[in-house]
Amino acid sequence: MKIYWLLIMLGWGAIGSLTAQDRYTVNGYIKDAANGEGLIGVSVLAKETGAGIATNAYGFYSLTLPAGSYSLVYTYVGYDRITREIELNADQRLNIEMTESSRVLEEVTVSTRQEDENVRSIEMSTNRMEMKTIRKMPALLGEVDLVKSIQLLPGVSTVGEGSTGFNVRGGDVSQNLILLDEAPVYNSSHLLGFFSIFNPDAVKEVKLVKGGIPAQYGGRISSILDVRMKEGNTKKREISGGIGTIFSRLTYEQPFAAGKGSFIVAGRRSYIDILAKPFLNKDLRDTKFNYYDLTAKVNYRLGDRDTFFASGYFGRDVFGGGDFGFEWGNATATARWNHIFSNRLFMNLTTYYSNYDYHLGSGKETDPDAFLWNSKIISSSVKPDFTLYLTPENQITFGGQYIHYHAKPANAVAISEGERIDLTQEAKFADETALYIGNEQKIGDLLSLQYGLRYSLFRSLGPGTVYDFGESETGERQQPVLPGTTYGKGAVIKVYDNFEPRFSANLGLSASSSLKASYNRTTQYLHLLSNTAASSPLDVWTLSSRNIRPERADQVALGWFRNWRNNGYEFSLEGYYKWMENQIDYVQGSELLLNPFVEGDLIFGKGRAYGLEVFLKKNAGKLTGWLSYTLSRTERKVATINGDDWFPTRFDKPHNLSLVGMYDLTKRLSLSANFVFASGTPATFPTNRFEFNDWSLPYIYDNTRNNNRIGAYHRLDLAATLKSRKKLFKTGESEWVFSAYNVYNRRNPFSVFVRINEENPLKTEAIRYSVMGSIVPAITWNFKF
Amino acid sequence: MKKINSSLIVALVAAVTLLLTGCEDVIDLKTATGPESLVVDGWITNQPGAQKIRLTRSTSYFNNSPAPAALEAEVRVADDLGNTYHFLDAEGKGDYRWIPANPDSVMGSVGRKYTLHIQYDGEVYTAENEMRRVPEIDSLVYTAETLPFKPDKGPKSGYIAEFYARDFPGTGDCYWIKPLRDGALYKSNPVYISIAYDAAYGAESATDGLIFIQPLRQSLTIGELFEDGDRVGVELLSITPETFHFLKQIRTEASNGGLLAVPSSNIPTNLKHAGGKRALGFFGVSAVSRLEGTVDAQTARPEQ
Repeated sequence: MKIYWLLIMLGWGAIGSLTAQDRYTVNGYIKDAANGEGLIGVSVLAKETGAGIATNAYGFYSLTLPAGSYSLVYTYVGYDRITREIELNADQRLNIEMTESSRVLEEVTVSTRQEDENVRSIEMSTNRMEMKTIRKMPALLGEVDLVKSIQLLPGVSTVGEGSTGFNVRGGDVSQNLILLDEAPVYNSSHLLGFFSIFNPDAVKEVKLVKGGIPAQYGGRISSILDVRMKEGNTKKREISGGIGTIFSRLTYEQPFAAGKGSFIVAGRRSYIDILAKPFLNKDLRDTKFNYYDLTAKVNYRLGDRDTFFASGYFGRDVFGGGDFGFEWGNATATARWNHIFSNRLFMNLTTYYSNYDYHLGSGKETDPDAFLWNSKIISSSVKPDFTLYLTPENQITFGGQYIHYHAKPANAVAISEGERIDLTQEAKFADETALYIGNEQKIGDLLSLQYGLRYSLFRSLGPGTVYDFGESETGERQQPVLPGTTYGKGAVIKVYDNFEPRFSANLGLSASSSLKASYNRTTQYLHLLSNTAASSPLDVWTLSSRNIRPERADQVALGWFRNWRNNGYEFSLEGYYKWMENQIDYVQGSELLLNPFVEGDLIFGKGRAYGLEVFLKKNAGKLTGWLSYTLSRTERKVATINGDDWFPTRFDKPHNLSLVGMYDLTKRLSLSANFVFASGTPATFPTNRFEFNDWSLPYIYDNTRNNNRIGAYHRLDLAATLKSRKKLFKTGESEWVFSAYNVYNRRNPFSVFVRINEENPLKTEAIRYSVMGSIVPAITWNFKF
Repeated sequence: MKKINSSLIVALVAAVTLLLTGCEDVIDLKTATGPESLVVDGWITNQPGAQKIRLTRSTSYFNNSPAPAALEAEVRVADDLGNTYHFLDAEGKGDYRWIPANPDSVMGSVGRKYTLHIQYDGEVYTAENEMRRVPEIDSLVYTAETLPFKPDKGPKSGYIAEFYARDFPGTGDCYWIKPLRDGALYKSNPVYISIAYDAAYGAESATDGLIFIQPLRQSLTIGELFEDGDRVGVELLSITPETFHFLKQIRTEASNGGLLAVPSSNIPTNLKHAGGKRALGFFGVSAVSRLEGTVDAQTARPEQ
């Protein structure tokens, strides 16, 4: 039914384009004049007809108009407006370079988008952040952090300080698709959740999509975090970097082939271990404690129609000492080809490889006692995406994706007194194919629609052994039926497929306000098995199988969008409701690591999340920033847990408020502040104690989960950025950033739990555990020349 | 000290992380209190002499006065050969004892199944358990070790004590390893519970019939090194897989906070109730192996 409807809508658009006479296309790339970086979301408007379009993620635009004379107006907040007179009697290419407006250079920090994008765009439940903004915000230990910054947006929360990842509208951390130049990243943090893996010097833009997810995105049910890397300066060589409390950073950018190409290489490394080395005694000198990441990207423009990109990321956390070692990290490689087929058809072809792995061990294979363990997930994919600029009113996107998964849950051996115990688990294979088509259509001046359909097909593939498990009715581990069924190489073990309809609408209410609505269904075939409060680097990504059905979510959202003062203020009020199916929970005493029958420890339930989000942003003037408030509820219902009734999830925070402010005091000095306030997270407390073996043991009489809530969380951070008066190497610049995290020194609870007193195991006590117990000041020095 | 327990490694990662500033404070917490239940604390062994089953009642969680005794209960244990053993609370303190006429008499024997019957406050409770086989402990071995820093407790240079024993062939043998010092149990806080499933940590890993893996062997050495001349030892108790899960859950809940805490859930019980009232606690049955020795610098293995 939905497909027919879609085809009718598409047909309508096509007819509109065919009946028009003598239409020509003007298209091209829009770049930043200073460094040649493609500009995303620049508004291109034909003054005479009011027809307009915005540049895509590569800075490309295409506008088809009846023959005639036009004034094309290119606008982008923070850049000088450009007007070009054109005589459109044939298709033509018009590449534009825009210059950052010096007049408002310091004023514009929050957004460099189309000025009225908030109201006009079809996008809802979507936030974009520029690195420029993120850099100005106070950061923990002065380390500019993309993931922590997006936690200040409406609908985004976290289990607590120091935990990996983020939660979007009631989704867990594994339900966000984190893309780095279109390759998925499986773990977004260094050192659990203290620092994100993205080097701020190499990132161009960040977009978070929480709802109204367009058809080209799929694979996770809650959100998309789309991180785009810088392309590298095509105008001149540039070296930038900094020395922070934790990391030292260095970035090198250089053009080649007369500006047709450029590259960027950026590296970061923590250096506490190097500083500490001279002070450590002999026994500790081989202690390893560092984390680093390396990001590189190269692009080359061949002729008028083709651009090639290759980018890569490699990050690692390394800990160890003596014969013990533990390390983990992501590696991604992306190759892309942008091709303009005809003036109206644009293609981006991406292939990527992404790997997340960890290694951990003690001793060597030849030792009498040793333990060696590694685990990895590899995905490789090819993904063609097409945009057809049919008419200014219809912009059709279509394409597909093929992903191959190779998961090695555990490759492990334990050696005990020379006896080998092989703990290796079978590798798992699967593939995922998706096809999508969507259209963004303008109907009259006031209504625009985006509708599309994504079809996804997942196949669990051999070789492999599949076990059946009994139904868990009592919440206890289910034993496998042995010996299981064995499948040969390439055999199809299980197939799942899903139609995922996507729909968004924007109804203009006035020149500065609109009403938006959206519905989307999303499916997820890859699951992170994690039963801890914060996800750990050891958690294993597991593929859907005969026993693990795909996760699925349906979300509706409705919002009112309003701009004031010539788009100087943006406001939105959104409500959402999300239903989630096949959510994974765990039996009591579950063993998620090194367990070949881990599927017997899983139980499945459903989730629901709903909320109201308020977002007020000030874009212009000396003071910029935003207020974000979310009122929400996130619950789960899983048989055998909490008496089969709904219970709040570990990251349920009914109230969540963030205030972010940045103030340019003088040309050289800017100040910034963050304030956050959030409800305490749920906790489970016992109702009784009983004595056994001279221990006091806890007992929850009604066996509820998350039956209490810990104290509220609030925190203030401040930062000041002072630009140096002296020019660095004549032309360069440098700045000092002074920051303080948790300024009023509050011990915010991460959790409250009960335990037995260490000295007297009959005495019970309650413990408040804080990750950050005090104010954390830091100084960072950044340079660029 | 080489340790290869995965949960220990997770804890180590967390510790590394919290080098930053993580901190714990004891706070006052008000919690709701549920109705009172009968609590059974009984563990029958194959050691000679009296056996004890303690009966108390549950209280509110933060009530730190001793648990009230459950008095005037009828307590007996029957085995699958038709023998019945009566347990009596002679002192009126809730400590129900079976006292043999001959102090060297042994109640438990390997291979027998035991059923506990309790009649208390108008309700009947039962529990079943089995005395499984336990291997002999082959030896105690000491290895010299120097820590890289001066610890809070114990010497900087000392000895790691470990015991050697081999799991029986056949899966599903479980053991509780209790460390001894100067002839008595020590470090009894439940966070230190050391239990084995075959020769390792769980049913998941195929370690049937092997020598206990190193971290289990070294679980006698907890938090501090031994010194030359220290008397150390180990008790190895056979337990059923059900008992293994009971003890494992106690260990999990004993300190379950912080970044890597798992959702709290109740500690299981093997007590069944015929009426409407639940009982808490556990009826354990174990055969025991024991070995003691003295740390000797002369015969200790050199530091690696």
